[in-house]
Amino acid sequence: MNLRKYLGLSAASLAFAIPLSVSSVARAETHGYVISWFATATYNLDRKASCPENRNGGRTENYHRQLTQIGYTEAEADEIMKTQGGTLEAKYETRVATRGSVNGKPAIIYNYPESVADPNIETVVGKIAYGFDLGVKNDKMKFEDPDTHQKIDNQLWRAVGCTHSFDTNPPDRPYFEDLTWHLMIDSAPAWSVMLTGDDLSKDGKVTITMDLLTQHLKRDAAGNVLTGATYVIDSGPRSHNVLQGEIKNGVLSITPKDIYLEGEMPFYAEIAMHDTHMRINMKSPDGTLSGYWGGFLDWQRYAYMYTARPVNGQDVVGMWHALKKFADADPDPKTGQNRMISATWRMEAVPAFLATEEGKLVASPVPVSTAPQPEKVAAAPTN
Amino acid sequence: MKTSNRARRLLLLGAGLLPLALASSDHRVRAADDAATAAEPAQSIRLSPSQYKQSIADIFGGHIAIAGRFEPEERTEGLLAIGARQVSVSSTGVERYDDLARGVAAQVVDKDHRDTLLPCKPKAENAADEACARDFITAIGELMYRRPMSSAEVESKVKASSEAANTLHNFYAGQAAILSDMLISPKFLFRYRVLEPDPNHPGQQRLDAYSKASALSFFLWNSTPDKMLLKAAETGEINTKEGLKRQVDRMVSSPRVEGAVRAFFADMLGFSEFETVAKDPQFFPRYTLTVKDQSQEQTLRTVVDHLIARQGDYRDLFTTPHTFLTSSLAPIYGVPLIDKTDNGQPEHWMPYSFQPGDPRAGILAQASFVALHSPAGRTSPTGRGKALRENILCQAVPPPPGNVDFKFVQDTSNPVYKTTRDRLTAHRSEAMCAGCHKITDPIGLALENFDSAGGYRTTENGVQIDTSGELSGVKFDGPAGLAKVLHDDPAVTSCVAKKAFAFGAGQLPAANDAEWVGIQKKFTDSHYNFVELLRQIALSDLLYKLPPSKVAAAAGQSVQ
Amino acid sequence: MAATSVLERMLNRRRVLKGMMAGSAITVGLPTFDCLLNDNGNAYAATGAPLQPRFATWFWALGLGEADWRPKDAGTNYELPIQLQALKPIQKKMNLFSGGQVFLDGQSNSTHYTGVQGMMTGKVSSTGGYFGSFDTVITDLIAQGTRFRSIECTASGDPKATWSSRLDTGLQPSEVSPLALYTRIFGPEYKDPNAAEFTPDPDVMVRHSVLSAVKDEREELMRLLGASDRAKLDNYFTSLRTLEQKLAFQLQKPEPLAACTKPGVPEKEKEQALTLATDAMERHNQFAVLLAHALACGQTRSVNYAMTVGMSGLRMEGDPTNHHTYTHEEPIDPVLGYQVKSAWFQSLYMKALYDFAMTMDNIQEGDRTLLDRMVIFAYTDHGAPRLHSIRNYPVITIGSGNGRMKTGMHIPKSGDAVTRVGLTVQQAMGVPISEWGFGSNRVTSSISEVLA
Repeated sequence: MNLRKYLGLSAASLAFAIPLSVSSVARAETHGYVISWFATATYNLDRKASCPENRNGGRTENYHRQLTQIGYTEAEADEIMKTQGGTLEAKYETRVATRGSVNGKPAIIYNYPESVADPNIETVVGKIAYGFDLGVKNDKMKFEDPDTHQKIDNQLWRAVGCTHSFDTNPPDRPYFEDLTWHLMIDSAPAWSVMLTGDDLSKDGKVTITMDLLTQHLKRDAAGNVLTGATYVIDSGPRSHNVLQGEIKNGVLSITPKDIYLEGEMPFYAEIAMHDTHMRINMKSPDGTLSGYWGGFLDWQRYAYMYTARPVNGQDVVGMWHALKKFADADPDPKTGQNRMISATWRMEAVPAFLATEEGKLVASPVPVSTAPQPEKVAAAPTN
Repeated sequence: MKTSNRARRLLLLGAGLLPLALASSDHRVRAADDAATAAEPAQSIRLSPSQYKQSIADIFGGHIAIAGRFEPEERTEGLLAIGARQVSVSSTGVERYDDLARGVAAQVVDKDHRDTLLPCKPKAENAADEACARDFITAIGELMYRRPMSSAEVESKVKASSEAANTLHNFYAGQAAILSDMLISPKFLFRYRVLEPDPNHPGQQRLDAYSKASALSFFLWNSTPDKMLLKAAETGEINTKEGLKRQVDRMVSSPRVEGAVRAFFADMLGFSEFETVAKDPQFFPRYTLTVKDQSQEQTLRTVVDHLIARQGDYRDLFTTPHTFLTSSLAPIYGVPLIDKTDNGQPEHWMPYSFQPGDPRAGILAQASFVALHSPAGRTSPTGRGKALRENILCQAVPPPPGNVDFKFVQDTSNPVYKTTRDRLTAHRSEAMCAGCHKITDPIGLALENFDSAGGYRTTENGVQIDTSGELSGVKFDGPAGLAKVLHDDPAVTSCVAKKAFAFGAGQLPAANDAEWVGIQKKFTDSHYNFVELLRQIALSDLLYKLPPSKVAAAAGQSVQ
Repeated sequence: MAATSVLERMLNRRRVLKGMMAGSAITVGLPTFDCLLNDNGNAYAATGAPLQPRFATWFWALGLGEADWRPKDAGTNYELPIQLQALKPIQKKMNLFSGGQVFLDGQSNSTHYTGVQGMMTGKVSSTGGYFGSFDTVITDLIAQGTRFRSIECTASGDPKATWSSRLDTGLQPSEVSPLALYTRIFGPEYKDPNAAEFTPDPDVMVRHSVLSAVKDEREELMRLLGASDRAKLDNYFTSLRTLEQKLAFQLQKPEPLAACTKPGVPEKEKEQALTLATDAMERHNQFAVLLAHALACGQTRSVNYAMTVGMSGLRMEGDPTNHHTYTHEEPIDPVLGYQVKSAWFQSLYMKALYDFAMTMDNIQEGDRTLLDRMVIFAYTDHGAPRLHSIRNYPVITIGSGNGRMKTGMHIPKSGDAVTRVGLTVQQAMGVPISEWGFGSNRVTSSISEVLA
C-alpha cells in the first residue's frame, strides 16, 4: 500500500494545466460531466443480517440514552421525551452537550468526543458492502462487493452502517447527506468530471480530469440536474485532479491516485480521498455516469462532518468512536492509532459543456444522438 | 339649463374629443358638426396591454409598477391589433382596469413620487388645493387623452378631486381618486380616429391632427404621443408633408421604435398563445418555465437586433445564424454558452451565432416557433405548417371538419407508423383530410428535426426522420432548406408589409390601392428594410386618409 | 350643462354621506341607487343581499408521502390515495393539485421555510424576510368592512405557526387558545350583524362618486362614434355600471345574516403547548367551530389556520418519537412504498382538514353552504417528506368560492411552478392579476381547468 501523507498531495501532483493539454493526441475527444449525485455508498438489502441487534435507534432513542447518561432514570427519560417535540430542550441539551471532561474541566462532547466513554453503537456485521480491494491486510474484516464479488475494504461502512441515517439503498442517499445535498446544490459550486480519449464509445485509455466549478448545478423542469448545460471551471489549482484510466466493457477504472475537491456544503466541505479507485459505468442510455469511488479517508474529518451537526439526532459520539475503532490505515508512528479508514462513495454525473475562466470550451456532452429521444405523452403523471 | 343645439354641440365637443379651447378657426367647428352629423363617425380602438403599460411608463416613468390583469385580447385576421378595433370592456375588465388604475394612481401620489410627478405642492396636505390640482390635471390630461383637455373638462376634474380631497382630508388622495377616474375613462382606454374635412381634397375627409398624432405614435412607438408630437398636432405641422416627415424621421430614429417592433412581432408571431403552452417534463426536462419565457425574448431580441441594430433585410430573419441566448436556453439548442456570471447571480443574455449550415438558422427554427406550435408531448407538423402559412405568409388554412378521426395522429407508439410523417400520411389517406393537410404538412414536416420542446433530433422511435418538403412548388430538405425557400418567397415580404400596416391601421390594406403598391415597391427597393417600411407607411396618406372600414369598401375587397 | 350637473349629482350624494366620516357609526338613509340590481342570482342569498366569498388557508406539516400519494389519473375520475381517504366524502367539493415545485434560482434552501415562502409569497429569498403571502391579497379584496381583516390560529401552541404575512408588517401571529379566540370574536365587543348601525367606508364613497363622473362621459363620446363603436361603448358603460353597483352595495347596510349564530364557549385549555396528536385534533375542531361562526357572522371573511409548525412535534400516545423525526428516520416500507408511521400523521391531518371543511359545510347560507361560498387552500411545507423536498407538492382546495372554482378534479402539473395554484386561487377569488411570483416562480397563466 502506498499512502501519501495527507498534506503531501499539494504541489507535486496538482500542477495546474488546462485540461485539454493532456490530450494532444489527434482525434481525441473530451466529454464533460457535472457530478449530480454524491454520497457515502450504502448497502442495506439485508438489514437484518447487517445489524441484527437493531439497537441504535433514531433521534428519540438517542436523546433518551443521552438523558440517562446525565442521570435521569429510564422512566424519567420516557416522560421528558414525551414533551420534547423532536428535539431536546436547551435545558437538557446543554447538560448533555457539556457533560464531557478534559483535564478536569467541562468539555463540549461534540468538540471532544473522547471526553466521554464510547457508547458502543452497533456496527455492521454483515458480509456485503460496496468497495474496492485497497490492499488492507485483514481478511477477516473484508466485505464482498455485491457487483464484483471481490473481497473489498470499507471499514467506514462497518462503523456507521447500522446508524439510522444510513438505512437506505440507492437511489436514496443516506438521509442527512441527502438532505444536505438536496439543500445545497442550488447554491454551492458544483464539481466537474472530464473524460478524454481517442474514442470514448469504445474500450481504451482515458484521462480523467476533475475540478471545482464556479457555479452551482442547474435543475431541469422535473427538478433533476439539467443535462447539457455549460459550466465554467474554477482555475484554482487546489481542486484540479488528473487521473489515468481505462474503459473496459463500458466500465471505467483508474490507476489509483489521491483526489482532492473543495466543497461548500456542510457534509461535503471537501472530498479528500487517498489512493482512490473507481468503477464507473459508462453505458447508461442518457449518457449519465454512475459508479463508485473507493479509497482512504481521514476518519476524524469524516466524523467531524457529523459531530459538527449533532442536532441531526445521530449518536455522533458513538460514530466517532466506531470510526476510530475501525480505522485501518496510516498508523500514527507515535500512538499506533490508524489515521485513515477505508471507505466508498457512490456518485453520478450528467453530461455538460465545460469551459475555462478564459472562455475556452474544453469539453462537450456525449452527443445527443446517442441519448434516447422519447416522443410520447406520459400515460400517467410521474415525478 | 337651456342651450341651443349648436351651443350644446360645442360644449359636448369641448368636453369631448376636440379641444375647443384651441379650435379657433371655423372649420374646426364645421368639422365637428360634420363628424357628428354626417355618416363618417369616428372609430375607437382599445389600447393593448403593452400600449397601456408603455403609455403609463412614458407619462409617469418606468418605475411605476403595473400589477394586475388585463382584459383578454382578441385575435382577428391573425393580429390582436386588428381585434383591438372590435373589443369593448367586459364587467370583469372594468374591475381589472379599476384595480390597475388605483394601483398606478396610488404610486403616482405616494411619498416617493409626488414631488417629481406633481407640478406643485398643495398649500396644506390635508385639504383640497384647486390651483395645484388644476396644474396636475392639465399636465397629465394632455398626455393621457392625447390632446389638451377643454377648460370645462379640467374644471370638472378639479372640482371632483377637491371634493375627494376634502372628504378624505388628504390632497394627494384626492389627486389619486381623480387620476384613477381618468385611467378607467374610455378617453384613456380607447384611442380614437376622429375625422375632419380634408382642405386639400374637397369633399373628402381626413383624420384630425390629434388623431393623426395618436395613430403615428401607437404605430411607431406603441405608446402615447410625446409633447413634441402633440405640439406638431396643435400647430398643424403634422398636416403638412414636410412637418409629417420631420416627425416621422424623428420617431423612427428614436430608440422607442423598438417598442413598436417588439409589440408588432410578438403579435404577428402569436406569442400571446404562450399562455397555454406546457410541455411534459418527463420527456422534455430541459423545457423549464424560464425557457418558455426566455424563448420569446430570444426571438424578439433577434428581430430587434437584425431589423433595427443591423438594419438587415427582413428576409434574412429566416436564415440569420445570429441570435441571443442565456445559459438556460442554450441546453434546448444543445450548444455551449459560456456565461461567467458569479455563482448565484442572474444569468446574462449573450449574443450567439450558429455555425454555417446549422439547421438552427432563422427565427422559425427557434423554440418560440417550433415549441409554441406543438402539443405537450409530440410535434405537430400540421400546426407548425398552419402557423407558418397564416402568420408568415398571410395565407388562410381552413379549420378541420368536426368529425375527424385522429387515431393515427395521436398514437405515437404505433408499431407501424413510427414517425410523425408516417402517421400523418396514414391520416391523410382519409379523403376529407387530404386537402388541407396538403397545405400545411409539407412545410411543417421540414421542421421535424425539432421536437415538441424545440430540441434537435434526427430520429423518431429509432427511425431516421425524413425532412423533405415543398412550398409553392419548390422542393427542399430540412429546416435550412425551408428557410431558404421562405427567404425567396415574395409572399413573405408582402405578408409582413400588410401586417405592419394593419398593426397601425387596425385593418389589412387593400391590395390594389396605388399608394399601397408604391409603399411595397419602396420596401423592395430598400432591400426589405423593416424600419423603412414603417417609415413609408407612416408617411403615406393611407394610414390617415380614410377610416379603415372605408378602405375595404373603396377597394372593393380586402386582401384576405 | 352636463359637466356641472355631474358634479351637482355627486355633491348631492356626498352631502347625504357627510358627517359619517372618521368611522363614526351612525344610522344613515342613503338615497337608493338605481343600480342595485341582482344580475347574478348565484352571488346573492335569497334575501337579495350579496354574500361575499370567503377564504381560508389551512397548513399541515410534511407533505403526504413520497410520490406514491399521487393519483394515476387526472381529471374528475381519480382514486384518492390512502393518505387522503378521509376526504373521500367531499372529493367532489375539492381539487387536488400535484407535481408543482418551488424554484430556488440559486438562493439557499432552508427546510420547512423556503418552500412555503415560494408557494405563499411567490418569491424565494435567502436574505429577505417572509413578507406578503397571497392570502393577504385576497383578504384585502374580500374583507372590506369586516371587523377582523383576517383571523389566524393554530392547534400547536406556537404563535408563529401560520404563514399568513402582510407586506408591511410581516408574519401575522396566531391565536393559540380557543377560549381566547372566542373572547376576541364573541366577547363584549361582538356586535350583532343585524344591529341597526352601519358605517360606510369613506374611500368607497369617493370611488363611487368619481365613477359617476366617468359615466357622464358617455353622451359626449356617443355623439362622435358610428353604430358599431357606439355598441362597444355601450358595453363599456354597462360594465362600468356593474362596478358602480359593487361599490354601491358596499355603501349600503348589509342584509341580516341568517346563518349567524353565536357558538358555545370553549373550555379553558390546560396548557398552551401540546404534543399529542389526539389533543391537537380536539383543539383543531374547537377552532374550526369558532372560525366557521366568525365567517357566518361576517366578523371576518378570511381565516388562516395551521395544524402545527413545519417541524411537527406531534406524536402518538405512548410514543415519544414525533412526526418530524419519523419523516427523517423511518425507512420506506419496501412493500407499501411509503413511511408507515409518517403516513399515520398525514392521514390524521387530512381527517382534520375534512372536519374543518365539514364544519363549514354544516352552515347553510341561502341556497348554498358556507363551504360552497369559500375556498380553503390547504398546503404543506414539503413534497416528499423524507427528503424535505420542495418538489411534487400536494395542494388541496376545497369549496367553489361562490361558484368561481370548479371542483372534483386531480390536476397533475409535473415540474410546473406550484405558484400557479396560488395564482389560480387568487384569480378565482377575484384578485385582478394575470401573473404572480418572481424569477422562475413567476407564472403568467392560471390553471384554467378549475376556473369557472
